[in-house]
Amino acid sequence: MDVTQEFVAAGLRRAQYITNERVETAVFLALALDKPLLIEGPAGAGKTEVAKVLAEMLRTELIRLQCYEGLDEARALYEWNYQKQLLRLQADEHQGLHWEELSEHLFSREYLLERPLLRAISAPRKVVLLIDEIDKADEEFEAFLLELLSDFQVSVPELGTVRAHERPAVVLTSNRARELSDALRRRCLHLFIDFPGIEQERRIIELKVPGLDARLAGEAARLVNAMRKLDLRKPPSIAETLDWTRALVRLGIKELDTPSIRATLGVLLKHEDDRARVEAKAPALAARPR
Amino acid sequence: MIALRDAMLDFVADLRAAGVRISVAESIDAMKAVAAVGLVRRRMREALATALIKEEADRAIFDEIFARRFAGGSPAMREAHRSRGGYAGVEGTSGGPSDSVTSPAARDRRDDPEEAPASATTAREPSPPNRDPVQESKAQKSFDSAEPDDGEVGESEAPGGAAGVASSTDEADAAMADADAARDRSDADAESDGIEAGRAARLRTIERLPFARYSEVEFEAARDTLAALKRRFRIRVSRRLRIAGTGRIDFRRTIRASLQHGGALGDLRFRARRPRHIDLLILADISGSVNYASTLMLEITAGARDCFRRVRSFVYVDRLAEAGFERGHLAMTPMLDLYARSDFGRVLAEVWERRAALVTRATVIVIMGDGRNNRRPARADLLRDLARLSRAVLWLIPEPQTRWNTGDSAIRQYARAVTALIPCENLRELERGLARVS
Repeated sequence: MDVTQEFVAAGLRRAQYITNERVETAVFLALALDKPLLIEGPAGAGKTEVAKVLAEMLRTELIRLQCYEGLDEARALYEWNYQKQLLRLQADEHQGLHWEELSEHLFSREYLLERPLLRAISAPRKVVLLIDEIDKADEEFEAFLLELLSDFQVSVPELGTVRAHERPAVVLTSNRARELSDALRRRCLHLFIDFPGIEQERRIIELKVPGLDARLAGEAARLVNAMRKLDLRKPPSIAETLDWTRALVRLGIKELDTPSIRATLGVLLKHEDDRARVEAKAPALAARPR
Repeated sequence: MIALRDAMLDFVADLRAAGVRISVAESIDAMKAVAAVGLVRRRMREALATALIKEEADRAIFDEIFARRFAGGSPAMREAHRSRGGYAGVEGTSGGPSDSVTSPAARDRRDDPEEAPASATTAREPSPPNRDPVQESKAQKSFDSAEPDDGEVGESEAPGGAAGVASSTDEADAAMADADAARDRSDADAESDGIEAGRAARLRTIERLPFARYSEVEFEAARDTLAALKRRFRIRVSRRLRIAGTGRIDFRRTIRASLQHGGALGDLRFRARRPRHIDLLILADISGSVNYASTLMLEITAGARDCFRRVRSFVYVDRLAEAGFERGHLAMTPMLDLYARSDFGRVLAEVWERRAALVTRATVIVIMGDGRNNRRPARADLLRDLARLSRAVLWLIPEPQTRWNTGDSAIRQYARAVTALIPCENLRELERGLARVS
């Protein structure tokens, strides 16, 4: 597939991912240089969506590894299917097989449970591997990823080294719950996706919530942007903005005045202190800038 | 071509000098990235940023240096133009992009009929070094005007007609650099408000500022940005406390897990370390020299109190006072004379007297101070005894290392008694130091 920056830009547009040149360049370079792309930014800014759009663009499978505390190699890479191995052992019990013959069966691919990383590496064609919220995984797991991201190969002691036929396009996302190591950063290209500006968010709203009046879409984008500047515990994400505007459509709200803002804040803000803070400022937020 | 490579290396050197950490591999990636996207100014900027900048907080530094180094009229950019079509040489130097990837710049050249004049200039020999600046300025203008890159690379019309009336190359370059920087800023503004990026940049700046250079202004700025650090510390402490890959086996969970494997005990489960196993005793010097570092440390640890079984916080100058935070302000009981002469030896004696209530085998003692004792008895023997009674004694020292053991500093004596002496000259180092607690 001939990958150009225009192809990437068109692919993002086709997938209705409204973005800017920064994102386009980073995605293009990740494909062009075959490097993992580390995407950081606030929660709900569209980091995970990049991987989904990339898979759609390349018309390939998206393999997702959701990171969490305590994630280890067994859950990320591979595991032996103990139950199946035991069944095999019991089935072979009376045949008087030697250990060598038995172990040849037991430690073959048939008994291997491939987890996302191994699945991505052993895939016959290029896939997109999303390692989501890497900051939630432990530092030990991050260190384990280093070899994988450098050489795109893993060692399974019983089977040998598995190398990627076709390097997967790797996207890592992080919300910066903890600092990632320099070693990991060095191996990746970096992209920071911030909340969109007012104009960009208005376009997103118009695209995703077609029933909304264009003027109201602009108002909603302005209001959400102003809220994000209030230093809230959890600023509203793009998804929450879209939920909110859909709620406005369902409620038939045509004007963003103080009562309508207060009535629908629960869709946007998920912390009580954030809500109290915005409610207090609702009249000022509702007032249109001159 | 070689000059372009040199310009890139100079650019990387400038970034390193400004404090951005860039490895050799990253600078090679940057070369490849430019080879892949071509020399269109905005694309080149984004490509370099993607390859070189791994923390958004460094982006402002990057943009500033990029505008200076690769301004439309700068020698680097002129050379870049001359070597257009020759970026394969860059690939040759450092390896190129995947075969299946076509550079947009290359395709631009193939597809765009307007590219011909620019291509013609690529064959132009470099001007002699002693060329007339006015002539060069004119030549540059004519060269730039032939550029087809959406008016981005080498755009000759700077706002206010600066480039048009500049009487020397330097002035023209400076004007172009300003215009480029202004355009970069307006591009960024058009795309995003940079709300989170701005926060990250502020946090990064204040995180790296040494406590020794703090005034009230920096201190307040640090407190404003403390929320992220508090959150990270809390997550780190709670995570470490929960993880248990070794230690005491949890038989009930191991047996339960073995049922899946036909009773084979191949999947060992361990008892989680619980928060109640760690007590924290904090002793923070709040005399003038280390006041800021101590207050910030107390505030960070206060946010993670419930991750420990018990936290006792004390501040001291020449004696001990219990510390807490009331409405975001440090409160102490009894009030200390902040202008008294520091005497940590006396403070240690007080702690020793109250050891039965304060120190157990589960206690981690964290001391923040510069170890300056006004030449009074250091009482390092008491610290050694306290270390014997407790789990660990960590000493965080905000003073620059060059000043340790100078003047009235007794840090050498204390260093022998503690488990670890951890430099923490700024917020970032403080965060790393506190991570050792868990």
